[in-house]
Amino acid sequence: MIQQEIAALLPRLRRFARTITYNREDADDLVQIAVERGLGRSEQWEPGTRLDSWLFRIMKNAWIDEVRSRMRRDAVFAPEEAGEHVGDDYAEAHQQRMAIQQAVSRLSDEHRMVVALVLVDGLPYKEAAEVLEIPIGTLTSRLVRARTVLQELLSDQARKV
Amino acid sequence: MKFSDETLMAYADGELDDDQRAAIERALGADPALAERVAQHQALRSDVFAAFAPILDEAVPPALTAAAMPDKVADLNAARAARVEQAAVARRRWSWPEWGAIAAMLAVGVLAGSQIGGGGDAALTLAQGAGGKLVARGQLATALSQQLAASEGAVHIGVSFAARDGSLCRSFVMHGTAGLACRNGNDWQVPVMAEAAGGAAGEYRQAGSAMPSAVLDAIDARIAGPALDAKGEQEALQRGWQSKPAH
Repeated sequence: MIQQEIAALLPRLRRFARTITYNREDADDLVQIAVERGLGRSEQWEPGTRLDSWLFRIMKNAWIDEVRSRMRRDAVFAPEEAGEHVGDDYAEAHQQRMAIQQAVSRLSDEHRMVVALVLVDGLPYKEAAEVLEIPIGTLTSRLVRARTVLQELLSDQARKV
Repeated sequence: MKFSDETLMAYADGELDDDQRAAIERALGADPALAERVAQHQALRSDVFAAFAPILDEAVPPALTAAAMPDKVADLNAARAARVEQAAVARRRWSWPEWGAIAAMLAVGVLAGSQIGGGGDAALTLAQGAGGKLVARGQLATALSQQLAASEGAVHIGVSFAARDGSLCRSFVMHGTAGLACRNGNDWQVPVMAEAAGGAAGEYRQAGSAMPSAVLDAIDARIAGPALDAKGEQEALQRGWQSKPAH
């Protein structure tokens, strides 16, 4: 039962992992850790509460406490990938996505977490605060700050192009 | 009324209660700068969302699905084991003692068919060889020894392959009967034979599709490595279907 539910969440878990890590392999490693831990302590999950938030929290803790330090941390953003086929509509959209991913990767961990939970995954503030185990006021101020920094990073990138 | 950036952001994120939202909406119409800030929050949110959205459509690596559903994987393994067990039972069911009667009956059918086909030397296609094993004779034996898979004839040759015991085996379809023959000395032993699916005489479908499961199982149980290709088949024919000499 819980296994099927976790399997159904895998695409979202992967997206969350990709937002907070820097490359695909690291992200999938992190998802794997979260899934294994989630199943290992599934008795700690209270039915009726959100399974997604619970797994995000496991992932967040694994990332902060142990995984982060041993991750590859090499950039995934190959410059040639971003620069090809300029003018093509699809390529332009792709280029914009890459620019945003890159800007997100430059945020601090705290900021990247709130962006991943609220902007990328679309969790309500209350849920996001619970995942991060912080008061909701802390979440909103962190989110405002993260957005400001992100906007600045994007403006900087735009100026350089 | 002045709104903090946090409140505007919360409005853009749909997080405000009805009263607060109504207050902001009243102010927005009158204050283009305010509307601009809200629009910025919304644009950033939708851009960031769009930047990571394609990840949802990626195929989930099988290792992750397996990690999420260990029971399912265990189920699959159990199902696979059960299938192997079933196949083993099926093979046991087709072992020689029960075969005698069936084979004799089929031999008559094949015999009758080949006579209708008008083959002069086809009077006998199967016979009991040494130790009571069924061996190919006449037209069938000739086809097994001389015919390549691609060629047309009363006997259709399917796959040729080396068995685990080193002998060479070939599957065949003949007059609606499919079987497997393995070379033993100068004979073709026929360990299994069954009615071919939809295989009326002269109507040869693609070898694989016409093969009954008893024959496919027999192939599965014996085959070592890939089936022979055209060149391998040709070479085996020239060696008289004897096992490849050891290098």
